[in-house]
Amino acid sequence: MATNTMTIEDIVRKTTDLPTMPAAAIRVIREADSSTSTAGTMAQSLAQDQSLSARVLRLANSAYYGLSRRITNLQEAVIVLGMRSIRNLAMVASTYPWMTRPLKGYGLGPRQLWTHSFGVAIGAQLVAQKARLDDADAAFTAGLLHDLGKVALSVWLEDKVAQLIGIAIAEGVTFDEAERRVLGFDHTEVGEYLAESWNLPSVLTQAIRYHHQPNLAEPPSKLVDAVHVGDYLTMTMGFGLGADGLQYEFFEEALERLKLSAEDLDTVTDSFVLAYEGYESMFMELQVA
Amino acid sequence: MPGLQTWVGMSEIHVQKGPTLFTCAGLASCIGLVAYDPLAKVGGMAHIMLPESFPEKPTAKPGQFANTAIPALLDEMERLGASPTKLIAAYAGGAQVFRFGAGKEALGVGARNAAAVAEWVRKYGLKVVAEDVGGNLGRTLTMCTTSGDVKVRTVDGVERVLCNVLQEPWQPTP
Repeated sequence: MATNTMTIEDIVRKTTDLPTMPAAAIRVIREADSSTSTAGTMAQSLAQDQSLSARVLRLANSAYYGLSRRITNLQEAVIVLGMRSIRNLAMVASTYPWMTRPLKGYGLGPRQLWTHSFGVAIGAQLVAQKARLDDADAAFTAGLLHDLGKVALSVWLEDKVAQLIGIAIAEGVTFDEAERRVLGFDHTEVGEYLAESWNLPSVLTQAIRYHHQPNLAEPPSKLVDAVHVGDYLTMTMGFGLGADGLQYEFFEEALERLKLSAEDLDTVTDSFVLAYEGYESMFMELQVA
Repeated sequence: MPGLQTWVGMSEIHVQKGPTLFTCAGLASCIGLVAYDPLAKVGGMAHIMLPESFPEKPTAKPGQFANTAIPALLDEMERLGASPTKLIAAYAGGAQVFRFGAGKEALGVGARNAAAVAEWVRKYGLKVVAEDVGGNLGRTLTMCTTSGDVKVRTVDGVERVLCNVLQEPWQPTP
């Protein structure tokens, strides 16, 4: 495939299996950020998509939350779990179907992108909590979506991945830089394009775009930094490593902006495993949902 | 190849008497440590995440840290009849994930893990016959207690035998 002559628009137009985001999920993201929304308006947004609503309710009733009684309606779910948790559940329910597909172009088997993305969601949230960011839950959503572009780009990389790794090793550049050299753009730019086409809030789009180059975000964004550090922690622990694994650069300026030390990273790593294991009960619900 | 495979997840320690294939998958900065007592036919594996436990915090999973995983692995193997002085050990992992700017190497948990495991195996007098640490590729470590092969497979698909725990001439620890 002559990918090097293609633009991001061509890639997105010609890819048959593009990731999708239900309109109701986008509305839920906006509701969670709005100062005028209520449990009622949030539930209304969600209710416009029956399948998504059913999956969110199933997740809300998973063993993870350990609720003493079964939640049967959306408004109650928003009241009991909070708007931000419901937003995260809507994101999990919306992304799971396409994030569990294998991505041959990145050497990722079934569920591996999911394992990695969910790890980054948890990692970014823990980093954001440690750094006392206002909306640490937004870091969860940003982390979950950060590699969105890989889903669209994978099929176009299938015959190029060996070349990209070769360039990364021989020339001592990162995998995203190798993507830019061969394709003219990288997976973060494809992700940004998709996120904009979904009309995601700009803070999320920015986190997707700059998660490998946090110093380029203008203005600097602690959410971008939290996703960068969360991505680093997740790869360090080997969650969902693909062919591109370990070929990225870590920018310590992200830690400095978050006012975190190397020791803080160790404590986040320590919390990560317990947090991830806790969520496994939720994965069970996703598999049947 | 024995029918039973023993998967060792992050921070876990598993020990087994008799045939099995111990497997630590997706090791990046973590270290997989295997040990085997050829006489008692007891094997064990630990999947270590961090160099040192936090003094102010109780350790829920001893396998998580180098300083707690090694004594815990030895204890569990001894419980199944292994003799700590007869163990043959090997370890792999500790890759450097991502690149760092100059002077920021302290952030590299892979290298710190490798150094901590080296220190604690020495402190406990564990006979290490092979190690494969560092680099920047993820690894899968296996130990087949039937053939004795300890193998490392990197994410680029290359697999090699690190050592064979049945063929190592056993000598008492001086």
